[in-house]
Amino acid sequence: MIVLRALVVASLLLAGLAGPGCAPADPVPPAGRTVTDDLGRRVSLPDTIRRVITLAPNLTELVFAAGAGDRLVAASTADDYPPAVERLPRFSALPVDFEFVATLQPQLVLATDQVNNPRDADTFAALGIPTYFFHFGSVDDVLDGLRTVGALLHTADRARRTADSLRARLDRLAAWSAGLPERPRVLFLIGDQTLFAFGAGSYIHTLIEAAGGESLTAALDTPAPILSDEFVLTAAPDVIVGAFGTAYDPARLLALHPSWDVVPAVRKGRIYSLDPDLLLRPGPRLVEGAYALARVLHPDGLPPWMPPPSSRP
Amino acid sequence: MNRTLLVTGTLLLLLPLSVALSVAVGSVDLAPADVLRVYAAHLGLYDGAGLPPAIDRIVWDLRTPRVLLALVVGGGLAVIGAAMQALVRNPLAEPYILGLSSGASAGVSLFYLGFLPPLLAQAVTFSLAAFLGGLAAITLVYLVARVRGTVSVTRLLLAGVVMSSLMGAITAFATFASPEPDKLRTLLFFLLGSLSGARWEVLPLPAAVTLAGGLALLALARPLDALLLGEEQAHSLGIPVETTKRLVIVLAALVTGVLVATSGAIGFVGLIVPHVLRSLVGVPHRRLLPLSFLGGALLLLWADLGARAVLPAEELPVGVVMALVGVPFFLLLLRRTPYHFG
Repeated sequence: MIVLRALVVASLLLAGLAGPGCAPADPVPPAGRTVTDDLGRRVSLPDTIRRVITLAPNLTELVFAAGAGDRLVAASTADDYPPAVERLPRFSALPVDFEFVATLQPQLVLATDQVNNPRDADTFAALGIPTYFFHFGSVDDVLDGLRTVGALLHTADRARRTADSLRARLDRLAAWSAGLPERPRVLFLIGDQTLFAFGAGSYIHTLIEAAGGESLTAALDTPAPILSDEFVLTAAPDVIVGAFGTAYDPARLLALHPSWDVVPAVRKGRIYSLDPDLLLRPGPRLVEGAYALARVLHPDGLPPWMPPPSSRP
Repeated sequence: MNRTLLVTGTLLLLLPLSVALSVAVGSVDLAPADVLRVYAAHLGLYDGAGLPPAIDRIVWDLRTPRVLLALVVGGGLAVIGAAMQALVRNPLAEPYILGLSSGASAGVSLFYLGFLPPLLAQAVTFSLAAFLGGLAAITLVYLVARVRGTVSVTRLLLAGVVMSSLMGAITAFATFASPEPDKLRTLLFFLLGSLSGARWEVLPLPAAVTLAGGLALLALARPLDALLLGEEQAHSLGIPVETTKRLVIVLAALVTGVLVATSGAIGFVGLIVPHVLRSLVGVPHRRLLPLSFLGGALLLLWADLGARAVLPAEELPVGVVMALVGVPFFLLLLRRTPYHFG
């Protein structure tokens, strides 16, 4: 039972469910010394960091976005983006293959409390490797995390520019959607059979709002609720967006939940499924996820400057 | 006898009240008048004008089949619990505790995650996999626990615990090795025991198997009574002891397997209900089995009501609720001096 519980938690966290936000970390000095991570742990760092590993795919994406991809000495088996990770040796991050990681001799391990066990840090400490833990609740947490990664890995300027540009792109979308005459009521789902969703405090509601929608699960107390069919029928979403992958057949959702035939989104055929990596990973591609949301929420009302969907490698 | 009548009457009175409460209360609030209008519309007493279709779906397509499934699953598990307790002559026996349910879960997991080939329709293959997994687990537990014709309680409980671990490990292995995270999440929710998948189409198989299994056990009421006296006495009464025991094991695996395949492993219904009823109406199975069905149906209905109502808009696995209620009960039972069966 304990194993199962741990699995439930781990699988939810792998999906990138975010808890309530916490205060962003203190600005990290460019090199050396001791810093405080998102869990309030004191982390002593070497002056120059050239060898890094991350324990979660979103952190790998953040390292590349911060312009420090060349410092990664390996990728976890869950990493699949950006394409440059294909060249790296692979290791298991869940559970951590400590022996192999030790042979890689990283100077710093980046981890996130949403996927990794904070106790892993103790084992790394015993190996003489410092671990920096991130916590990503809100979109701002993610952008602050990007800046922190840059500060830790000596690419602070590049990371700041990337973070500012991501913020500007999101703000531009939000400014456009603020002027929309109507905002569809959106139900965002992580699972199609068992209705895992995002509750209060998640970044997903920020993305949906910027994309011109109103997220129906924003007010649920639980960070990672499992919704009842009754809730969906009562909430009556105009649009249902799932993170089930772009190849998903919307008819499957109705087949799994036949009682939803009266839900407005189903009646109007407004069920969409998007690439989960853009929306479930609190990383630099969340902004792209917001644009993907906007394209399905407002297929006819898109502004001319909206970029076309990027093709995935 | 008066006591039996009183208990029967109470249960029969509670049943419609509990059903009415269960369709009226759920994860979202509905006006009782609307609930009544839904049933009036389906009975043809009213044309349904002005009734929001979402409310119709909630009451008729979600809550009603779910209530019926709770009755079937709870009743079935309680009947099987009563029969297994007679089989091993011990009130601590129950499908969940003896590893039957986890065997069934392991069978379902292996099939669901693609380790076993789909043979027939999904619901049937699910049930078949659960039946075979459960049968393997309970047979092994029973063989280990039996020493020279009698079942040792210590061995039985320990074998059940160990078998649950083994089956849990098989399930965990299947989930770890599975490449599909979506299926994994769904399976993990299912393994905790939940009635949230209830729909009209889901009902017939568990209902038919529970009814058939329950009637078959009822036909075995006299041999079951005799088993409680001990196998030698049962023999001398002309009871085919071995046949009876094999039948009970297969029936238990069949009914539990189908119920686990429908709603996941829900524990402790089969423990609590027969135990309480036996202290009220005595041990004869022709009384105990039907009343266990009623009692189990009610207990799971209430547990599911709790699971649906405790978190607004969300689902809580009913297996969690049953474990919260059942484990303290089990521990109390362990502490008490063992009572006499026959």
